[in-house]
Amino acid sequence: MSSLATEPAAPPASVSSPPRPRRRRRLPTVPWLLLSASILILGVLTGYPVVRMLVMSFQEYERAQVMGMPAEWVGFDNYTAILTDSAFWAVLGRSILFMLVAVVLTMVLGTLIALLMMRLGKGLRLLVSVGLLLAWSMPPLSSTTIWGWIFDTQYGLVNNLLTRFTGERWFGHSWLLDPLGFFTILTFIIVWGAIPFVAFTMYAGLSQIPGEVLEAAQLDGAGAFARFRLVMLPYVRTIVTVLVVLSMIWDLKVFPQVYALQDIGGDRQKTNTIGVYIYQMGMGQGHFGTASAIAFVFVAIMLLLSIYYVRRTMKEEEL
Amino acid sequence: MRKNRLVAVTAAASMTLAMGACASGADAADDGGPSTGEVRVWLVGTDTPDEARDYLKTTFEEQNEGSTLVIEEQSWDGLVDKYTTALAGSDAPDVVEVGNTQASAFTSNGYFSEITADEFEELGGSDLLPGFVEAGDWEGAHYALPYYAGSRAVFYSPQLVDGEPPATLDEYVDAAKDMYKKGKFSGMWWPGQDWYNALPFIWENGGYIAEPADDGSWEAGFSTPGGIAGLTQIQDLMLNASNAPADGQETDLQVPFCEGKIGYLSAPTWIQWSINAPEEPESDDGVPGCGSTYGGDLEAFALPGKDGGAAQVFAGGSNIAIAKKSEQRDLAYSALKIMLSDEYQSIIAGIGLIPAKVSLSGDVPQENSIGAAGVEAAAGAKLTPATPKWADVEAQNVLQTQFTRLANGDDVEQVAADIDSQIESILNG
Amino acid sequence: MSTTRVAVRRSPARRAKDAGWGLVAVLVFCLFVFPVYWMLNTSFLPNNRIRGEEISFFPTPDVFTLDNYRSAMFSQERAPFGPAVLNSLSATFLTLLVCLVVGFVASIALTRFSFKGRRTFLVLILVIQMIPGEAMIISLFRIIDGWALINTIFGLSLVYVAGVLPFTIWTLRGFVAGVPKELEQAAMIDGCSPAGAFWRVTFPLLAPGLVATGIFAFINAWNEFIMALVIMQRPETMTLTLWLRTFLMVTQATNWGAVMAAAVLVAIPAVIFFLIVQGRMSGGLVAGAVKG
Repeated sequence: MSSLATEPAAPPASVSSPPRPRRRRRLPTVPWLLLSASILILGVLTGYPVVRMLVMSFQEYERAQVMGMPAEWVGFDNYTAILTDSAFWAVLGRSILFMLVAVVLTMVLGTLIALLMMRLGKGLRLLVSVGLLLAWSMPPLSSTTIWGWIFDTQYGLVNNLLTRFTGERWFGHSWLLDPLGFFTILTFIIVWGAIPFVAFTMYAGLSQIPGEVLEAAQLDGAGAFARFRLVMLPYVRTIVTVLVVLSMIWDLKVFPQVYALQDIGGDRQKTNTIGVYIYQMGMGQGHFGTASAIAFVFVAIMLLLSIYYVRRTMKEEEL
Repeated sequence: MRKNRLVAVTAAASMTLAMGACASGADAADDGGPSTGEVRVWLVGTDTPDEARDYLKTTFEEQNEGSTLVIEEQSWDGLVDKYTTALAGSDAPDVVEVGNTQASAFTSNGYFSEITADEFEELGGSDLLPGFVEAGDWEGAHYALPYYAGSRAVFYSPQLVDGEPPATLDEYVDAAKDMYKKGKFSGMWWPGQDWYNALPFIWENGGYIAEPADDGSWEAGFSTPGGIAGLTQIQDLMLNASNAPADGQETDLQVPFCEGKIGYLSAPTWIQWSINAPEEPESDDGVPGCGSTYGGDLEAFALPGKDGGAAQVFAGGSNIAIAKKSEQRDLAYSALKIMLSDEYQSIIAGIGLIPAKVSLSGDVPQENSIGAAGVEAAAGAKLTPATPKWADVEAQNVLQTQFTRLANGDDVEQVAADIDSQIESILNG
Repeated sequence: MSTTRVAVRRSPARRAKDAGWGLVAVLVFCLFVFPVYWMLNTSFLPNNRIRGEEISFFPTPDVFTLDNYRSAMFSQERAPFGPAVLNSLSATFLTLLVCLVVGFVASIALTRFSFKGRRTFLVLILVIQMIPGEAMIISLFRIIDGWALINTIFGLSLVYVAGVLPFTIWTLRGFVAGVPKELEQAAMIDGCSPAGAFWRVTFPLLAPGLVATGIFAFINAWNEFIMALVIMQRPETMTLTLWLRTFLMVTQATNWGAVMAAAVLVAIPAVIFFLIVQGRMSGGLVAGAVKG
């Protein structure tokens, strides 16, 4: 599978080759020295909290323990409580479903826009780029606010226009209250914000495909879709993989947009995704033990989902 | 190049900021003994009037020479989340306001410093609002004391509503529905998320939020016959008397009221100041009122009960406590003492809030119907279930969410069953 | 002039096709820009226009107002705006700087050296990114609190660095690996020391990579607000996102003008940053992704 060496996007030669051992550097101290700052920061500010989380997940850890009361060991109670709680599975299922929809939409639309940019002249391409750039640079809190305002119950643009064009009274219609409406708007926010990264990256990748290759395909009479699937896609396969994996991680862990949109409106019970669920369990209700356990269950599930990618990476890194 | 300089500048700025924060922290630690220091008071929302804030600061700094008092305003939303960490940290504030229904989440977990029996007597003792004292107690000890109670009254403008105030709850409902029939007019204003105004309907019809069962677990009571009757009445009003947004919150009520589109407005009594404010706000961020039109002749009455008299209404309000992690408890106590002093509480009463001391309730201005209505309503005030887990019910917006469903026309019994199961799962969880 | 001449030479079918794509391009542009436009539009309108039944699609001179911005920035009732900007800028650029330096050094170790434990480190870096940060809030808070770094830019930045560093290392590693070692070796044959060869030859080729990675550090730090809520507890230490958040809470439903003005103010620095770096990033994105 590791066809990385043929990747056109990177400078030629020896792309994937991990450094062939150069025996000149005998001491392994140099790389560790270079890594020391990272190891220190991650060890203290990620490693230690993870260990704390692991410990907490076997304890009854509530607000009183935050104030310094000794915590009680409860064995696997937190884990059994979660795994037998239908609310948790509902949240998980909802998160995964949302992630799938968002990733597919982002990838398809992002790729289409990248293909569009290939066809455009300089001026129009700049125009599209500017639009993408604006959307990309919008902070999630700002963009959630904007979309919340567009769909506002009382004065929002959508209700106003609907009232005007349908003749019915839409003022007061709440889009966020219905979970389906909530997730539709959430999908708008996320996909709108995520497409630019995908589109820019895909465009950069596609534009490095040698022109002769595409022309040859055209002369062979390949249709647009066939050209894309058979000629372009192989060239950008790694890019697509990376983008999909990144989008999956990001969309599954999505937090600020859901959190802020719930503040604007909506039924929390029915719109929680895994991130806000953990937040509410811990910070909101003070069940830090349970929240930690959920986090570990979640990581386990993520690992299962991405095991292929992780293993492939490990194989590539074979020394 | 330019970017590099920018980075350097901001890095330098951040260093100074960081050092500044450290320095002030060190100050507090050094001077934090019995004599002087900086006391930080966290007040929530804008309910405490500026006059009271100024009085607190000046009086405190007079009484404790060399010390300063800083008021830092917090917002109600996400308050429990913030206190959970902030009060457990090394830079904890000294005195904090907390919603009366949220208090037990902290009193039960050791977040507040205990108020001894002697101190309790000195601060007012049995004169303090009993329901609020109870809300701040934990296992027989005092932790959070009453700060103020909100009280609610039903406002209306005689320009828009004719006749005498209704005598019973049913009459009130009918009157509101009649006005709605006039068209483009809300007989009453009921934003879907408003659960404070919903509770009286539950209570008056014989329902309850949650009560302890024999085995010690909590049993929610929205599905009881009384609860269903109350919810049905609420939904009837939401659908047939109100044009408020189905998912709206109880914020800035003066806006629709001043448009002259509301008959009855059940709201905290201090809303009167927002309504009869001038049309042109005096400050940049002031909210316009309608003092010259519908706000000019504002009247109010206490929500009537099922069988006449005043209904049992929800007693919203605040408690005040000293943070356990306060490094200068003496000074904090001194600030707390001022906040519960007769002078300070009179200022609170002056804007229409119910003061923390029963003996001062006469200070609530009653020359007009509004003050009288507020005091009458406060007499029948009721609280939410006395358990630390109630704060979680609020933190999860359980009632807000479910009432929006009512406003959207969902089936009453289904909603009642959902409320009950959610409340029980949290309170017994 | 010249464009028309070019167009004339093209076949009608080709022209129609081009025009069609042009139309699609404009449509895409509008779709992406619309929310931003609507935010700007609302922020310049007075409240009676915002709440009116008539839609105002443009703040015409007779209604144009800066009141929303004034109210957002100078309101006494809200947290001060100025310090919030400074705090956010400081925390973001500190995070950016530390992340790039530390991540860059780490990526050299991971690409230019072979040593035992390298693969384990890489897998760990990957797995770390799957942990939901919301579960770590309380532990991180206690660490930062324990070091007395509550309410400091430094403490907040530390947390941000820890959050972005795995991604930074992962991506930068791709860029460094993408620069062929042969170039360095050639330089060494010419008499450069290994470090000198790296510095003179490889480093300049990495600029787009640093930019692309920097964008992510920037986005993360600039937009974060939950750790900020926990760590920056005093009004004067609030970051810009916390400042914006207070608007969402208090003024829903009535003061959308001020909310939109606040949203604009929070977005402006981010847009400026993106505009500055955009020219250098697209090439970088690919090279980084390739070696993911």
